[in-house]
Amino acid sequence: MTGDRASSTPAAPPKSPQKPAGAGRWIRWPGVVAFAVVTVLLAAAWWLLVDGMIECAIERAGTQAVGAKVELAAADLTLLPLGLTLNGLQVTDPDEPMTNAVEVQRISFLMDGLNLLRRKVIVNEMTVDGVRFGTPRKTSGAIGKQEPGVIQMVAKTKFVLPSAQIPDVKEILAKEELRSLKLAETLRADIQAEQERWKQQLAELPNKAKFDEYRQRLDKLKSAGKGGLGGIVGGAGEATAIQKDISQDLEKITTAKKTFDSNLARIRERMDGATKAPEEDLRRLRDKYALSPQGLANMSSALIEGPLGDRIETALRWYAKLQPYLQSGGERKGNVEVVTPLRGRGVDVRFKEQAPLPDVLVRTAKVGMDLSAGLVSGTIRNITPDQPVLGAPTTFEFAGDKLTGLQSLKLSGEINRVDQASPHDAATLNVRGYRLLNLPLSTDDSLPVFVKEALTDLDLKAGLRGEALDANLAATLQSVQVTTGVKPDADAVAKAVASALSDIKSLHVKADITGTVTHYAVRLSSDLDQVLKQALGKQMQEQVGKFESKLRTAIAGKAAKPLADLRSSFGGLAGIGDDLAHRVQQAAGLTKGGGKDGGLGGLKLPF
Amino acid sequence: MIRAVYKLLQVIGSETEPGQISLGFAFALIAGFTPLVSLHNLLLLFLILVLRVNLSAFFLGLAFFSGVAYLLDPVFHRVGLAVLTAGPLEGLWTTLYNSTLWRLEGFNNSIVMGSLIVSLLLFVPFYLVSNRLILKYREHFLAWVQKTKLVHVLNILRYGAGS
Repeated sequence: MTGDRASSTPAAPPKSPQKPAGAGRWIRWPGVVAFAVVTVLLAAAWWLLVDGMIECAIERAGTQAVGAKVELAAADLTLLPLGLTLNGLQVTDPDEPMTNAVEVQRISFLMDGLNLLRRKVIVNEMTVDGVRFGTPRKTSGAIGKQEPGVIQMVAKTKFVLPSAQIPDVKEILAKEELRSLKLAETLRADIQAEQERWKQQLAELPNKAKFDEYRQRLDKLKSAGKGGLGGIVGGAGEATAIQKDISQDLEKITTAKKTFDSNLARIRERMDGATKAPEEDLRRLRDKYALSPQGLANMSSALIEGPLGDRIETALRWYAKLQPYLQSGGERKGNVEVVTPLRGRGVDVRFKEQAPLPDVLVRTAKVGMDLSAGLVSGTIRNITPDQPVLGAPTTFEFAGDKLTGLQSLKLSGEINRVDQASPHDAATLNVRGYRLLNLPLSTDDSLPVFVKEALTDLDLKAGLRGEALDANLAATLQSVQVTTGVKPDADAVAKAVASALSDIKSLHVKADITGTVTHYAVRLSSDLDQVLKQALGKQMQEQVGKFESKLRTAIAGKAAKPLADLRSSFGGLAGIGDDLAHRVQQAAGLTKGGGKDGGLGGLKLPF
Repeated sequence: MIRAVYKLLQVIGSETEPGQISLGFAFALIAGFTPLVSLHNLLLLFLILVLRVNLSAFFLGLAFFSGVAYLLDPVFHRVGLAVLTAGPLEGLWTTLYNSTLWRLEGFNNSIVMGSLIVSLLLFVPFYLVSNRLILKYREHFLAWVQKTKLVHVLNILRYGAGS
């Protein structure tokens, strides 16, 4: 070879080799054999190492995706026919590193060889056997610090056992602001301001002095009328002028009286409100501090929300982990799509294909889940991150019958990303005769509650359109056995709750879950509310009665003086009304005449 | 490093045809710049083994250009993406995209396309310049280099004090 001929050292003088002539000068015929040997060696090395490379690639990609160790016992690639078998896949639960979220005994599938050359992994049928959930691990599968989850229930109800003790009224009134006192104070200030304003207005309105002046003018006119024709003619003009002045003053006083009456009516309404305000305070504080129907509803919700919320959060967390694989990261650039590969460098540009196919597609996956109850088998169709290319959603359907502790189970649904702009997913789960065992409802020290056993029928319908989550759950629990860890020294309420829960034989629960994947709310209704109300009815009535009586007395004591002051102020304002009424009466008397005061009525004009 | 310099001096100072050495370097330019596991590099391997290309020059060049390629990857990406998304070429790329052989080549990756274009454009100029430089070296510098202390030291390191 040429390389072998370069045997001289930089220090050695160049030799004059005998060079081959013609084509032999450039062609190295043994090189063909060398190429064949090198190619075969490379292929052999690849064949020896490929299983290990596949294993490493799956473990690395899986670990990165899940956030905890993904391990594979063995991978086996066959060339004729082209297929892959994966054995012993373990996916660690990131929240519990000593537990596998999923363990799969065997995954095997055949690939379309021609499409694989086109860098498309097309699997017509995949078999997944021995799927198990929540299996224990021998070593921890943690890979480092996990980011806290952002999925959370909005306004999760905390389990609080209502107390049988009557709350201390003095303590409550010391920390609570009474709205009745504030209302009385504000109203009293307003009444005083109104009173001041009207006092000023009264000073400007015609008063007794003004009416006396009118009387003097009238008397003078009457005496002038007795002084002949000239006096009579002159008196007529003066009488008209006096009448006009009195009418104007009467108008002023009447208008002021109307305004005052209107204001007084509004203030009287507020007075009524202020008088009733202590009762409002009483109701508010009683509902807040005493055992109420609302408190019981919260307690029953908290009992069910706990275990339900945990399961919803787990489901949504895994759903969020799947998101990156449900849609391709393609970006349009002109007529072509630029796709950043999940691994590797650079970007891949996609062009229009004559027969478009996704980069990865599993047409049918037959899955056998080896649950503790027995075998649940199902089919997943069209597994691909490129649904728009395929034009069909991923669908799944699982069913199991006559299982241990479970009469039947049916799960179906679809993950639809055909239109990437409006993704929508749906799932329906029907469970019949599920024997529920040792489900903790409350681990609160005051009253631990467990469902020891129950036979459950459950129907769940969940949908996710974009970010909007909408799910409905209906569950019926029969042959229920509830155990409670009530302490011997517990109060009457705790004992009554424990007794009521222990007596439950059947239970109906309905839940509506709405919101988004990261922030959702659960609206629960169950007949547990009714059970607790009945159980605690007597305790509740007695406790509320005593508490209400004490609270009423205390509030009345606190509100008595402000309300008395308020009434006094209101009385002062009402006095202004009397004054105005008197002035109207006086002015009206002057215009009508008659009586001992004499008025225009007593003045006889000649025409 | 010393070994590589010694090898380089040995190769370009040898009796080998300058064209064979230059071709080794030029092929190394393609193999080094483009991702190693590519279909075109299999073809290149065939050419290297069948044509009388200096293998030492090729392997020296491959080591050098593979290192340089890491620095040039952003340039390759930009060139490749610009070429792949150029409107007038869309028809050509679409035809190639529907061919199994070209899909296997992975031409639609920006770095594969960019590095292949850059290395193919540089191939002929690099071959000619390299050829010219080897001839100039042998004509003007080889005798001088052989007398330098550096070469003396390298000879001692390579063959021992008796050389």
